[in-house]
Amino acid sequence: MNNSRFILSRLWQSIILVFIVTVITFFLINMAPGGPASIMRMDTTQEARDALTVRLGLDKPVPVRYALWLGSAITGDLGESLATGQPVIQRIGERLPYTIELAILTLIVSVLLGGVLGILSAIRRGTWFDHGVNLFTVLGLSVPVFWLGIMLILLFSVELGWLPSSGTGKANATFFQHIRYVIMPVFVLSTTTLPTLVRFTRSSMLEVLSQSFVRTARASGLKESVVVYWHALRNALIPVISIIGVLIPRLLSGAVITEAVFGWPGMGRLVLEAAQGRDYPLVMGVTVVTTGIVVVSNFLVDIAYSWVDPRIRNR
Amino acid sequence: MGTKRKLPAMLGVLVLLLTIALVSCGGNSTKTETPTTSEAPSASQAPSASAAVATTKSDGPVKGGEIAIPIVADPIFNPWHPNAFAESNVINRVLFSGLTKPGKDLAPAPDLAASWETSEDGLDWTFHLRDDVKWHDGEAFTSADVAYTFNEIALNRELGANNVSYFKNVKSVEATDDYTVVFHLTSPVAALPAYLSFNTEILPEHIFKGQDPWNLVSFNKEMPIGTGAYKMEKYISGQSVRLVANPDYYDGAPNLDAVEYRVLPDVNTHVAQALSGELSVFTLDDQAALARLEKSDEIKIIPQYTPRFFWVALNQENPLFTDLRVRQAMLMAINRQYIIDTVLNGYGEVADAGISPALAYYFNPNVKHYDYDVEGAKALLAEAGWTDTDKDGIVDKDGKPFSFLFEVGIQGNLVRIGQIIQQELRQIGLDVKFETLEWNAMIQKDVIRRDYDMMLNWWRYPADPDLKPYLHSSTAGTGYNIPGYKDPELDALLDAGSTTADPAKRQAVYYKLQEYMAENLPYLFLWYPMETEVANVHLKGLPEHLGFGDSLHYIDEWWLEQ
Repeated sequence: MNNSRFILSRLWQSIILVFIVTVITFFLINMAPGGPASIMRMDTTQEARDALTVRLGLDKPVPVRYALWLGSAITGDLGESLATGQPVIQRIGERLPYTIELAILTLIVSVLLGGVLGILSAIRRGTWFDHGVNLFTVLGLSVPVFWLGIMLILLFSVELGWLPSSGTGKANATFFQHIRYVIMPVFVLSTTTLPTLVRFTRSSMLEVLSQSFVRTARASGLKESVVVYWHALRNALIPVISIIGVLIPRLLSGAVITEAVFGWPGMGRLVLEAAQGRDYPLVMGVTVVTTGIVVVSNFLVDIAYSWVDPRIRNR
Repeated sequence: MGTKRKLPAMLGVLVLLLTIALVSCGGNSTKTETPTTSEAPSASQAPSASAAVATTKSDGPVKGGEIAIPIVADPIFNPWHPNAFAESNVINRVLFSGLTKPGKDLAPAPDLAASWETSEDGLDWTFHLRDDVKWHDGEAFTSADVAYTFNEIALNRELGANNVSYFKNVKSVEATDDYTVVFHLTSPVAALPAYLSFNTEILPEHIFKGQDPWNLVSFNKEMPIGTGAYKMEKYISGQSVRLVANPDYYDGAPNLDAVEYRVLPDVNTHVAQALSGELSVFTLDDQAALARLEKSDEIKIIPQYTPRFFWVALNQENPLFTDLRVRQAMLMAINRQYIIDTVLNGYGEVADAGISPALAYYFNPNVKHYDYDVEGAKALLAEAGWTDTDKDGIVDKDGKPFSFLFEVGIQGNLVRIGQIIQQELRQIGLDVKFETLEWNAMIQKDVIRRDYDMMLNWWRYPADPDLKPYLHSSTAGTGYNIPGYKDPELDALLDAGSTTADPAKRQAVYYKLQEYMAENLPYLFLWYPMETEVANVHLKGLPEHLGFGDSLHYIDEWWLEQ
């Protein structure tokens, strides 16, 4: 009972949220100077520009266009891309699997590695290991993604010839052939998420370790490993889960540079191209899909949260 | 405790050294390493590796092998589509054929049309088509395809097709028999055969008939049917377009088995992949990156002039710029050779007018030239009434300072060039405010609304000296005459050139036109850039005097050594 009401109210909030996001995005992108790429080229004649404006339905006022868009979006029709005439859903569908693959792999790597490094450096606080991890997180945060990407390509593709420098491999590639294409993009993308996770786990772990229940557990004669990995860790992970909720939207949209350097056909590049080319329906489509994914994943994070920490459920 | 403290510091130094090692090994050893990697490529990369053809070295072309070419975005397989940009052009001219193509001397050469002639009055052009051409789906190519492409797509004003500006004077295209078409014009266009070679390929009527040509996704984005040397195999959005040889190509089956275009938006990735042998040939726009490639033995760099010029436009609606002496002074203040040497790495030549040396027959080398001369520029400004009376470093006239906005769209090296020009104009006392705009926004503000004082850009045009669209008074305001410069004398020269068919007479007109441009500066002409084509040394058969874009018309002749 309690649970279903919680879910219902979350659902309602989510719908309102998606609606507000679409209104803001629609007006921002339509009010931005410029127009669809086909109209905004140096070599288009004024006559052709006028003809295209009418063809693309851009001669109508923005609020009318929004109403039209919303009307068909509610029925599940996100319209057609202005640039190619393809259904927006199709263009997103071509790219979304690659984005999700990259995001999930990066998340797994960051959570596993970030968790382990964070815990270890919390336990071994002040040692060379802790400082070493600290240094690497600073490096990870400060090294520009495009630079790191190009350096990796020069080292592993050009010099050593170990890894392919771009793309996703042939369509019929085996898992092991494909995974070689994933290594560098995931590594580069992880450098942007890993530091956050390491630092968060570390500080969260340190906080928990200093709390009285840990002292009590130690005082009651439990083995240190039991104290750390059973009592402290479970509690330290709660805030870490919330950070994952923050990282998901970043991974969905923030991989533009990584995608560009490694020729990875993800959504980040799609949305960049759509925004630069003022492909209004495509921008809207990506916005709706991304917002939807973020809402769902945050919802799952909340569920996970309340599952690990019963106090939240009962609040 | 003491040793424990030192450890993190030592670790830090170690990591730094490691990083430096990584960077420098990426930088220096390229030359020696590249051949090794391309000899022993790993399984799935380097398509040149699968070029296991003749084992003995032969002098002539051999069949087989495949190459890879980078493109920066997803293409559209329809040359007339308003969203077909550079990345589409390099594919479409391989998939499709035009009536003509740029000859190896850049003059229009036969392609789908075997020959052509014009009527006495220049108002009718008759093209005799080849009768042995088949579409990739086996249908026969006929004059109906040509008539359809022009009448229903290119000349259909409601569609706003690409490149229609070249065909403003074309009334209609008539198919007089299966293999003859006649272009009916409203006034003579000497450059028609040249225009027909420039991104104006023919589409199949049997597929487009009754369809909306822009929304025919099954063709434009999936399975195009052309007449070219290569046909579509597979297109994966955001990744690659794979074309395979068309064995029935009318000029004979091409040498290479396949051509793969890879969607790679980042120029640095192009450079890295050229070094690793994964990319075979492309144009590198960012000449700063050439240094890396120049060191490699596996890569040749082929500079080539193309019909293109860079310019500064000074809005003629703004009274500041209507005085010729002001324009002259501004041009003299810009050290064009310095910009060519630094930003373009030397790949370019100072322009005095707009007709590029690529069009050697029409290029006039003996026109008025303005040397870089700061003092001379200041003197000219003073002559025009602009002096620094209040000693604030800015020249003024009637109490008003010479101040204006210089806007540059963000693309390639335009911003870097713009910054240099701004500094140089400040030296002669002009108060130049510099602003960068996103490309799309720049087009709307500067090009469409003409709401600008000074802007920097370039024109690229078909291989013909007809610059009428860029300079004629009829194209001021809304057309390509962006500065809005108007002069009946200039109009007369442009009209004469565009309607004169006889090459010798045309040459005389365009020689005069260049003299006029150099003296009166409707634009501030900056330079003719050289296109730098980057090619793997094993790729042979590229026509010697064509840039990358034009040489794609001869892709059937390309071949891979070994």
